[in-house]
Amino acid sequence: MTNILIVVVVILLVATLVQILRVSELLSEIKNKDVNEVTDKDNNTQGILFLIVGFGFLIFVVWQMVTWNHLLLPPASSVHGTQIDFLMKISMGLILVVFFVLSPILFYFLYKYRGKKSNKAYFFSHNNKLEVLWTVIPTIILTALIIFGLKTWDKAMNVELTESTTIIEVYGQQFNWTARYSGLDNNLGKANFKLVKGRNTLGVDMLDANAADDKMAREVHLVIDQPVLLKFRSQDVIHSAFLPHFRVQMNCVPGMTTQFGFTPTKTTAQMKESEGEDFEYILLCNKICGASHYNMQLKFIVETQEEYDLWLASQENLETKLLTQK
Amino acid sequence: MDIALRNTVKKQLLWVALVSISMFFASMLSAFIVEKADVVNWKVFILPDQFEISTVIILVSSFLLFFIKPLLKRGKSIFGLVFIVLILGILFSYFQIKGWQQLTNEGVYLTGIGSNVAGSFLYILTLTHLLHLVGGLVGLCISTIKSKQNLYSINNYLGLELTSIYWHFLTILWIILFTFLKFY
Amino acid sequence: MSEHHKENFITKYVFTQDHKMIAKQFLITGMFMAVVGMLMSAIFRVQLANPGESSILYNLLPGAWLNDSGGLNPDKYLALVTMHGTILVFWVLTAGLSGTFANFLIPLQIGARDMASGFLNMLSYWFFFIATVVLLSSLFVETGPASGGWTIYPPLSALPQAIPGSGTGMTLWLISITLFVVGSLLGGLNYIVTILNLRTIGMTMQRLPLTVWALLITAILGVLSFPVLLSCGLLLIFDRSFGTSFYLSDIIIGGEALHNEGGSPILFEHLFWFLGHPEVYIILLPALGIVSEVIAVNSRKPIFGYKAMVGALLLIAFLSFIVWGHHMFMTGMNPFLGSVFTFTTLLIAIPSAVKVFNYLATLWRGNIRFTPAMLFAIGTVSAFITGGLTGIILGDSALDINVHDTYFVVGHFHIVMGLSAIYGMFAGVYHWFPKMYGRMMNKNLGYLHFWGTFICAYGVFFPMHFLGLAGLPRRYYSNSAFPMFDGLSDINELITFFALAGAIFQVFFLFNFFYSIFKGTKATQNPWKSNTLEWTTPVERIHGNWPGELPVVTRWAYDYSKPGADEDFILQTEPLKEGEIEH
Repeated sequence: MTNILIVVVVILLVATLVQILRVSELLSEIKNKDVNEVTDKDNNTQGILFLIVGFGFLIFVVWQMVTWNHLLLPPASSVHGTQIDFLMKISMGLILVVFFVLSPILFYFLYKYRGKKSNKAYFFSHNNKLEVLWTVIPTIILTALIIFGLKTWDKAMNVELTESTTIIEVYGQQFNWTARYSGLDNNLGKANFKLVKGRNTLGVDMLDANAADDKMAREVHLVIDQPVLLKFRSQDVIHSAFLPHFRVQMNCVPGMTTQFGFTPTKTTAQMKESEGEDFEYILLCNKICGASHYNMQLKFIVETQEEYDLWLASQENLETKLLTQK
Repeated sequence: MDIALRNTVKKQLLWVALVSISMFFASMLSAFIVEKADVVNWKVFILPDQFEISTVIILVSSFLLFFIKPLLKRGKSIFGLVFIVLILGILFSYFQIKGWQQLTNEGVYLTGIGSNVAGSFLYILTLTHLLHLVGGLVGLCISTIKSKQNLYSINNYLGLELTSIYWHFLTILWIILFTFLKFY
Repeated sequence: MSEHHKENFITKYVFTQDHKMIAKQFLITGMFMAVVGMLMSAIFRVQLANPGESSILYNLLPGAWLNDSGGLNPDKYLALVTMHGTILVFWVLTAGLSGTFANFLIPLQIGARDMASGFLNMLSYWFFFIATVVLLSSLFVETGPASGGWTIYPPLSALPQAIPGSGTGMTLWLISITLFVVGSLLGGLNYIVTILNLRTIGMTMQRLPLTVWALLITAILGVLSFPVLLSCGLLLIFDRSFGTSFYLSDIIIGGEALHNEGGSPILFEHLFWFLGHPEVYIILLPALGIVSEVIAVNSRKPIFGYKAMVGALLLIAFLSFIVWGHHMFMTGMNPFLGSVFTFTTLLIAIPSAVKVFNYLATLWRGNIRFTPAMLFAIGTVSAFITGGLTGIILGDSALDINVHDTYFVVGHFHIVMGLSAIYGMFAGVYHWFPKMYGRMMNKNLGYLHFWGTFICAYGVFFPMHFLGLAGLPRRYYSNSAFPMFDGLSDINELITFFALAGAIFQVFFLFNFFYSIFKGTKATQNPWKSNTLEWTTPVERIHGNWPGELPVVTRWAYDYSKPGADEDFILQTEPLKEGEIEH
């Protein structure tokens, strides 16, 4: 019934529109005018519209920046993240300046040079000096940005393994994450997808001596100001581990191990103070992976060394979990 | 369009198409190179002897095509020549398929359990080449029939010329693939 | 080809070899697909604003996969997103845009009777048509159409166990895209050879209109990059259907370990984006070509810096082949490679900036006439500025860490590639409609269409940047699983409001288009007072374009408002006056 109603309404609307158009065209025929010719009046209206709507758009942009500012991610909670934030501020500032210069120029030109039948445009086909100028200036600015960007990128990606670096594996599958701590030896035991069976959901090779003290966990605890190296694997399809608050992202690819190292600088408790009680560090999936892609999360908790030690001690290692228990 | 322009246009269409086909094989070969560098369990294969025979065959067939123009210039029939090239083309395909049989016997499979990326690439590269060659064979068939009916002359043999260009391309492509698979 | 064939219905409208008719076939098919794609986006926008609420629009979709259970579940959401992307990228903005205007404009603007090979041209359309049918038929598959994203990354796209759409739906997708690529290649061959050989006397490369330059470079990009998509897809077909391991390794799915070992999904991404990035410019360059022409005509001024414009096009095209890695910064690629790709990517900003400045310089001291086509051309420039700038953030690998695959990306490419290109397409349709159908489109409806679209489109895509900066990943069925995104629902509702409103404004365009084909006011021969050759042909469509001899070109296409001339335009066929210097 509703469908029929919709169809009827649409047909009526179309018919009305046809009639309106016919009438307007007939009227202009009577007045001996071409209805589709762009008149000076049209140019005037459209030029003014461009000025109004164009600047309205710019105001809309400013409004968004003000109103939604509090929704954006808080400042980074990691060492390299702070550098990324700084680079972001500079790049963002730069593009905003360019945006707020070029757009008004465009809209103003449209208004200012709106056509009149009596006017004639200025014949101006090229000017080498101008063209060189506006090739060279972007080149210089971009070169600076590129150099700055590459330095930040190198610092973020080239992790040095130190004594104090904790190695943790993050394992993605449809549709959850599992973490594995490397234990006292700080060495992850080998793993192979053929060994995934029963409780050994990560396919850890228990014959490998390094595996015995590994620990599996459903949430990741980190120590503040201690570097950590995350190793990523995937069981089935490509996932992407995304930790927006730490400015960390890396794809998890079946058949490969990828990694990302960083140092957290704020505990969860500190963040709760500044961002509200509900705050949690979260790892999300950021590569389309199937039906529950939108709900694939792993909680991260940054805490002090003491809290961390306490928590880690409460987790059983793989030897007890897989070999001794029945 | 006058005839000269039409001939240029047709030839250029073919040349651009050949560039396009080259990109296809170039991407396939670069995939091969990347995987070979990356894959841990890359199984090295040995090319079957049949592929060497087929290499010689296609080289000879390509070489024979160079005699078309002189023959046409002297007003002689080219039917025999084109027919031989066609037969050589079919022989080439036959030895390619023989080569695959040899490979399967040696345990190099295209798919399934026991297959390896290395072997799969070998099959895919030779298979796609052969598929392109089928197009060439169709062209040669038409040319054979037309030359039997004496439809070609020195002023009018565009179809045959296009087929020849395509056939030479297939030969060069095969030589590249062959050297790659054998020595890389 | 100048001889006139007797035409019947079939040879005139169906299996036609006339480039102008083929162009219209591409346009109509592209418009149809645009409506389908837009409807899909409207459905998932409703979902994002009101999660779980099925809409009236949803019931409009055909297909067996919809019937099993009520409402839009996550699988169906992903299917819609995937089909929306595929349709818009390939069907609308590749075939619909460059298919239409390359076919229509190349022979007319270079002074040729038709394409180099009318037959190949016809074949090109029919490959495209069959591809369309196959793609749409995947909507009727029980398990639904392809759902792994338009980039179809394996293993997701290779394993039906991972997502239902990767079954028959994905197979049909691959068949369809193969046919599509073959069609595009046949078209591309033709465009290149036509432009190189069939230019009329006097039409040197330096006198070509920028539209033709843009279409030539687009065709070259296509011929070089589409075969790579073919080989990329072929390997995927083998992995899916015949059990090879090119892209698959170490996988357990549905509790079962697969035999595949040694393959690499990253290889797929390399092959895919080697096509994928040039594809972005295959979409964008024709639009920029159209815009250059429309802006010059309606500013009544020569395009500023013709040579720089051509140079910028060439440079963008060249760079587009060495930047594909910026789609893969987060795949764990060697950081050094990431640096190289950052470098090449940000270089693209330079020719892009030159183009923007040159457009602004063209408008400066012009005598701007606001036809609907001109409005849309300006829309392209505005979108190109707005969307292009955020590319500087995304192309920088360090910044990409935190915005990769978020809504920031969605906002960026919809503005710079989607809006720029679709505005360019609208500009082209409004501008050349009189040439296509011999009638004018209604001006006031055109104005209404433009302002509605312009306002709504920015309302849809600009706020997406904020979603991205808040960390929201793309392709999420709903944001409700994470408390950190709770505050974003207002933005989502705003976006959906603008999306639906924007969709309604497209109805004015469709109405205007079809109304004007039949009832529009009759067009004159050169309604925009333009210089290029297509406006020297008769209003009525004829085979061979010019009734008598082909025109002879004596000047470039941009002699607008030249001092010393009586009119503010001089046709390209007008001989140079004594003592007159060519621009």
